Amino acid sequence: MKAKILEVSHSKKLENAIFISVLLFIYKIVFPINETVVYLIINEIFIFLSVFAWVRYVSEFINPKLSKPLSLVVNTGILNALVFFIISISSWLFSETQNSITNTNIIYVLFSTLIVFVFIGSLAYIFSVYKNLCFHRQKKDPSIYFNTMVVFFLLTSVSASFLNPNTSVNNLEVLLDSGNDFIYNALYVVTIVLIFGNSLRVAWIAFLNKKQKLALLAISIVLSVLSWINFSTLFSEEFFLIRNFSPALEQLLSFVMVYGAIYFTVIFFTTLFHLPTAEAIDRKSQELTSVKDLSKLMNQVFDFEELSDTITSTTIKVSNSDSAWIVINEHNKINLHSIVGLGIIDANLISEFLIRNNLLSDSEVKVTDLTIFDKKYKLPKSIKSLVSAPLSVHNNNKGFLFAARKTSRIFEEEDSKPVGTFAGFAAVALENAKLLEESIEKERLEKELDVAREVQYKILPQKNPNYQKFDITSLFIPAFEVGGDYYDFFVIDDSRLGIVIADVSGKGIEAAFIMAEVKGIFATLSKLFDKPKDVLIRANSVLEESISKKSFVTAIYGVIDIKKETFKFARAGHSPLLYFSNNKIERLIPMGIGLGLDYTDKFRNTLKEMEIKLNNNDIITLFTDGINESLNAELEEFGYSRIEEIIKKNSELTVEELSNNIMKSVSTFSQNSSQHDDITLVLLKWKSHNNSKGEN
Amino acid sequence: MAEFDVGRHGVGSVSVLDVKGFLDAHTAPELENAFNGLINDKQYKVVVNFSNLQYISSAGLGVFMAYVETMRENNGDIKFCGLKDDVYNIFDLLGFPLLYEFYKVEKEAIEKFNQG
Repeated sequence: MKAKILEVSHSKKLENAIFISVLLFIYKIVFPINETVVYLIINEIFIFLSVFAWVRYVSEFINPKLSKPLSLVVNTGILNALVFFIISISSWLFSETQNSITNTNIIYVLFSTLIVFVFIGSLAYIFSVYKNLCFHRQKKDPSIYFNTMVVFFLLTSVSASFLNPNTSVNNLEVLLDSGNDFIYNALYVVTIVLIFGNSLRVAWIAFLNKKQKLALLAISIVLSVLSWINFSTLFSEEFFLIRNFSPALEQLLSFVMVYGAIYFTVIFFTTLFHLPTAEAIDRKSQELTSVKDLSKLMNQVFDFEELSDTITSTTIKVSNSDSAWIVINEHNKINLHSIVGLGIIDANLISEFLIRNNLLSDSEVKVTDLTIFDKKYKLPKSIKSLVSAPLSVHNNNKGFLFAARKTSRIFEEEDSKPVGTFAGFAAVALENAKLLEESIEKERLEKELDVAREVQYKILPQKNPNYQKFDITSLFIPAFEVGGDYYDFFVIDDSRLGIVIADVSGKGIEAAFIMAEVKGIFATLSKLFDKPKDVLIRANSVLEESISKKSFVTAIYGVIDIKKETFKFARAGHSPLLYFSNNKIERLIPMGIGLGLDYTDKFRNTLKEMEIKLNNNDIITLFTDGINESLNAELEEFGYSRIEEIIKKNSELTVEELSNNIMKSVSTFSQNSSQHDDITLVLLKWKSHNNSKGEN
Repeated sequence: MAEFDVGRHGVGSVSVLDVKGFLDAHTAPELENAFNGLINDKQYKVVVNFSNLQYISSAGLGVFMAYVETMRENNGDIKFCGLKDDVYNIFDLLGFPLLYEFYKVEKEAIEKFNQG
C-alpha cells in the first residue's frame, strides 16, 4: 500500500495538490465566511488536505537537493521573508477591516484567498525542508519522533479551530466553554516540547566545510530572528487575515515558525561550536577525497608523468605547502619530476644537497628545517622548511616526494602525514610504469623470438636428400627459447654429399643470426674444399670476424663418397658421432676444438680427420646435445648410452622408425621437465647391395 | 630453480673463484660480475674451482672465453680445477683442455701460477 503511494509520479502529485487547492478556492468563493460548525469543519478539512498534498509534492523536489543543505536553508529564508513581507503588507492594507469577520467584500475574499495559497505553499516548502534536514545524515531513523510531532501539530491546530477562544471564530462560541480550554493548552505545551526535541537533529552540520559553516552561522541567526518575528505577528491580536480564513492554518503556520525559530537557534549554536574544528575536518575530508580521486586515477592512467603531476599538485593542497616535486633515484643519478611552485634549478640544488648529505630517511616521513643550512651551503633562500617522504616499493627506495614551504611555519604532523600517503601513491605509480615497460619489453622479446624461430626454420633444409645407396632422415624439435641448432646437406658433385650438424652457443636472436652465417660459410666452403678438415679450419677463421668472444659453434662436417663408400669427417667440439657397424656401436670423437674458441694455429694443428668405410646396414648417427642433455625429474641426463642401446637393439628398422624410437624414449625420459634446448637428430643407413643394379 | 653462487678468495697473488650450482645463460652474469671485479682489482691470476658446480651450459663456458684474453695479456691466466667427470666431459668435448689448464685440486693450480 505504502509502496503504491510512493509510486505516484510527480505530475500526479501536482495534479492532486492543484485539484484540492481549486476545490478549496471554489468553496471559499461560495462560502467566504465560516458561519456554522459544518462550514468550518469542511473548510479545515480542505485546508489540511491541500497542505498535505503540497507537502508531498514539494518533498519530492527537496530530497535530491539534500547534498547542498545550505541552498535549501537559503530558500527557506527567502520564503520566511516573503511571509514576513505579506503579513506586514496585508495587516497595513486591511487594518480597518481586521475585525470584519463577516466581511464578504469580493476583493477582500479574493485577496485573502490568494494570500492563504501563498502561505500554504510557503508552509509546505518550509516544512518539507525542515523535515528533510531533520532526517538528513541521521544514524537512527528519527521518523517516530518527527511523526509524533506532526500529529501533535494537527491535534493542536484542530483544537485551535474549535476549542481555543482566542482564535476560534466568534460566532462559534457555542462550542467553547472555559472547560475545554485546558485541552488546547495541554496539546500546545506538548507540541512545543516535541519541537524542542526534534530541533536537536542537526547532524548534517558536521559535514559542511568551513566556508559553508560560516555562511550557515550568518543565515541561521537571521532565520531564527525572522521566524520569531513571523511567529509573534501571526499571533498578535491585530492580524486576523489568516485567522478569519482558517484558525487551524494559522496555528500550523505558527508552529512551523516556532519550529524554525528554535531549530535555527540550535543550528546557530551548534555551528558556532563546530567552527574551531572546521578547518581540521575540512583538511581531513580533502585528504580523503584526494586519496579517493588518486586511487581512481591510478587504475585509469599508466603514464607516470601524468600521475606524478597530479600527486604533486594534491600534495601541495593537502599539506598546505608552496611547492612540491618528486625525485627519482636511478643508477646513482637523480631525476626531478612534476615540480610545482619552484624552479628546477632550486629544486635540484635542494634535492642533491639533502641526498648527498644523507639528510633523508629511506623509511619514514621527515621534516627538515632548511634555514639552518642555507647560508653555509648556498641553498636557495626561498624554501624555509620541507617534508620528505620516501618512495618505497617492497622496502626498496626509488626516490622521494618533497613538499616545501616558503614561510618559516613549521610542518605539523598532520601536514607531513599526507605527504607520506602520496609518496606511497607515487611509488606504486612508478612501479606500475616499470611493470608496463617490462611487459612491453617482454612482448618485444617474444616477437624477436618469433623472428629468430622463423629464421631458424628457413635455414634448415626443407627436405631430406634422396639416394639409392643410403637412407637419410633428419629431425628437428625446437625448444621454447630458440637455440642454435643447425644441420644441412650440400650436394658437392654426383658422387659426393656434404653433411653438417652444428650447435651455436647461446640462444635467441643472436644464435639465430650466427646460424644463418654458419649456413652461408658451409654452403660456400663445402664447394671450395674437398677435405672436411679444411672446411672447418676455414670456417673457424671466417667466424673470428663475426662472432663475439663469448660465442662459439660446435660442428661436425663430413662428406659421403658414394663411389668409395666412405664417410670422411672432422669434429670441431661437437658431440660424438655414433657409428653402428657389425652389431657394435662406437662413439667417434676425433680431436677438434670448437669453432670460435681459438684462432691460432692450435686449432689447425689439433684438428683430426677420420674416415669410415661404409658397409651394408651401417648406421651413422649425428645429434646435438639437446638429446643427451635432456633431463628427467631426478635431474639425470639422458646421456649417450641410451641412444646407443636403442640403435643396437633396433638396427634392422628404417631410419625413420629409429628416429621415432629415440625421440619417444627421450620424451618418456624427460616427461616432467620442459625441453630447454633444441633437439636435432640425423640418421643415415647404408644399403650397399641395393647398388648391384644401380648406376649412380 | 637453478641456483648459482660464486665465492672469491685470494691465495697469495692468485685469486680463487668458487663456483657453485648451475651455471647457465641466466646465472652467467653473476660470474661475469665476479670477473669484472677481479679486473677492477687488477687480479689476473685466476683459479676457478669447480668442486661444487653441478652443471655448465654453453653460455657458462662463454664467460671464460670472454675473459681469458684479458688475463693472459696481463701475465695472468684462468686455470680450472676440481671438475666433476660430467662437467669435465663437456669441456673436453669442446677442446678446452687444449686451450686451458685443468687440475685435479686447487693447490696444484695455485702452485702452477707460483712456479711460473
